[in-house]
Amino acid sequence: LFPGVRQAQWLTKTKLVEGLPPAVQGIVDNPAHGLQELEERAKYAVSHARLWDTAEVAPRREQYCPVLFENLIHICRLMSGKYPSLTKRMLARNCRIAATWERESILLQVRGLSGILMNSMTPIPPVASKEEILATKEHVLETFYPIAPTIDLQEVNVYKELNDTGECFRDGYPYSHPHTLFFLESANVRTDRFRPEQLRAKMLMFAFGNALAKAKALHGNDPKVLEQPVVVQSIGTDGQLFQFMVFQLNTTDLVSNDGIKNLVWIDSDQNLYEKAQCVPEVKKRVVTKPAGISGFQPDTFKKFLALYLHGTV
Amino acid sequence: MAALGARRLLRAGRRWFSETVPAAPSPPASPLYPPVVASVTAKSKAAKSRRLQRFNQRVHAAATVEEKLRLYGKLQRPKYTVYPQTFALNADRWYRSFTKTVLVPGMPPRAAAAKPPVAAAGTTLEAGRAPEPGAEAPGAAQAPEAVKTPEPATGAAPYLDMGELRSVACDALLQESFYQNKKRPFLYRDQDHTPGPFLTQLVSTLAAFLSSRNPLLAASSLDLKPEVNYYWHHGEEVVLHGHRKGRVDPVRFQIDDNPHLQIRVPKQLPEVVPLESDLGDVPVIDHKPSKLPLFKKQYENKVFIGSKVADPCCYGHTQFHLLPDKLKRERFIRERLEDQIEVVYRSNGIASLFAWTAAQAMYQGFWSEADVTRPFVSQAVVTDGKHFAFFCYQLNTLALSAETIKNNPRKNICWGTDSKPLYDVVEDGNVKGFNDEVLLQLVRFLLNRPKEL
Repeated sequence: LFPGVRQAQWLTKTKLVEGLPPAVQGIVDNPAHGLQELEERAKYAVSHARLWDTAEVAPRREQYCPVLFENLIHICRLMSGKYPSLTKRMLARNCRIAATWERESILLQVRGLSGILMNSMTPIPPVASKEEILATKEHVLETFYPIAPTIDLQEVNVYKELNDTGECFRDGYPYSHPHTLFFLESANVRTDRFRPEQLRAKMLMFAFGNALAKAKALHGNDPKVLEQPVVVQSIGTDGQLFQFMVFQLNTTDLVSNDGIKNLVWIDSDQNLYEKAQCVPEVKKRVVTKPAGISGFQPDTFKKFLALYLHGTV
Repeated sequence: MAALGARRLLRAGRRWFSETVPAAPSPPASPLYPPVVASVTAKSKAAKSRRLQRFNQRVHAAATVEEKLRLYGKLQRPKYTVYPQTFALNADRWYRSFTKTVLVPGMPPRAAAAKPPVAAAGTTLEAGRAPEPGAEAPGAAQAPEAVKTPEPATGAAPYLDMGELRSVACDALLQESFYQNKKRPFLYRDQDHTPGPFLTQLVSTLAAFLSSRNPLLAASSLDLKPEVNYYWHHGEEVVLHGHRKGRVDPVRFQIDDNPHLQIRVPKQLPEVVPLESDLGDVPVIDHKPSKLPLFKKQYENKVFIGSKVADPCCYGHTQFHLLPDKLKRERFIRERLEDQIEVVYRSNGIASLFAWTAAQAMYQGFWSEADVTRPFVSQAVVTDGKHFAFFCYQLNTLALSAETIKNNPRKNICWGTDSKPLYDVVEDGNVKGFNDEVLLQLVRFLLNRPKEL
């Protein structure tokens, strides 16, 4: 209907900030992490996923999207040679999320398979300073009068309010802090995929759900302002376009519209490469476009890696 | 008159004779007739061999590797599909005869310099020559200072912390089997529910953990569920029915394999033994391959290592195979075929590794008429989630077709262990009976690298 992120903001009582937070941007710009050398490897990763992975001429999106993701994660994981604390991470696939909260007397719930989740043993430190958190008090949430904010949401009779950390990890799980959620839009048909705006809204809702469940597990079910804000990151892609998001949960007091709000930083529509040509395009016996990846943007990969390293570096 | 005529004739004859005396040997002219060779289109043995020679020349003269592969597999005829994961009895003997492989039990002896010292809390394991994981008895009465460091010149390499590795493995195992709440496994899909994800987690975290020690791993490429194919000829048979009845044809085989996980690297693993070594015998089986049972089908002749020729990571390092539910141990025990359990692991190791190494060799331009000049080495781990069997394969020859195998003394070699359990049971968030040696062997596999690195 209309931009989904604004609706999601209202539902989760969040203030939006464009671009990545300064902590993450600092990791991107810091040359000590050796991000330049990894450009070559990232380019190979993209070429492998888009061009070389199959015995047929060109792989389909259902194949190349997960393969690209796996390749990029493999490069990121190999950094644990340099930063040993990176081994304290674990990937969980097919995890289910369920979280409920109240918003101006409307009970809302987030449920479903939330893609791939990366957990870590240590939480991410809060990204926004205390002043910024206090400043959100003045921020007024956008309302969409006369459209109800719960438009396009499915109304369901909930008999049990579930508040697990979604994938229902049992107690005693060492990697208890959700770190990053990954969403892969890999359907072949374009109409089955989420459009970038909807993908961002989905990422926000699921990041919020995970953060809320974690906060409730840590601090109890009462709505209150959190001393230690919970930070959950989220990355969504369709194989070419990347959306980066960092969500900080400052308060579980979501019933009222005033008070401290949560914060989200979104960096949207980052292209990793322009075009992947599997077969050289030949017009009138002259090669116009050679085979290969064109328009590779190393910055997008640097941001991916920075979000991965965030919290341990 | 007659005398005048005779004199004229005599003079004429003399001139004729003088004309025929060759003055000097004339320069050698190009042959007047083209060389006499067999026809190309006739139905004769000579014509068939001439056609084969022309085909071989075409493949030899191909400009790129892709073109060579295309010509190599251009002709489609019915061929036997060889499945690496099979329930056939004694399949590993058959596969060894198809691929001319010698099976050597145990692990290959490695040079002392390739092993980092390992220290564990309480027990010290001797680093160095260790042909079999079982030969290293832990808890040997050695003081920690007496552990031989194999690289004294380069300074003591940091100890490989066994405890850390064990915790990594246990965490992966516990997450997949205990901590993460999953739905019930789908019918007959037990392997996708727990052992599959566990293997993926274990390998990816171990590879990342060990990448600081092994620069080859740092440049590697990890594939999930890749495809590996290879097509070859071995032996001859007579066509039985059809319009080609009575002709002598090579026996064609094709392996289409889907390992669970594979690591490809840009540099080749070093050779284990020299190219011409002979470590045993290849079993000879007099029956037709269809008696195994093996069935014929005709489809595309693919040669593929997991990615196309243009990929820089064109050599293989390690493959990981997961045995499906159909081949689990309980079924064999129930049918009183306990000795076939190891056969399953061995046949999977031999067939998959042969296909992978041979496809790697073809990507470098070698084929059955142009045999390899250096051995290709790869490793594999075959597991059903709990029991692990390790294999190392060295490809010494690709020349397996009927003409080229006659004067070929080389044999391919496969080293393999029996399957050993990694742990006994998982209960209440604890892993009971964890076997360090299996993990150590896995770590050794991942740390394998060329000598110059």
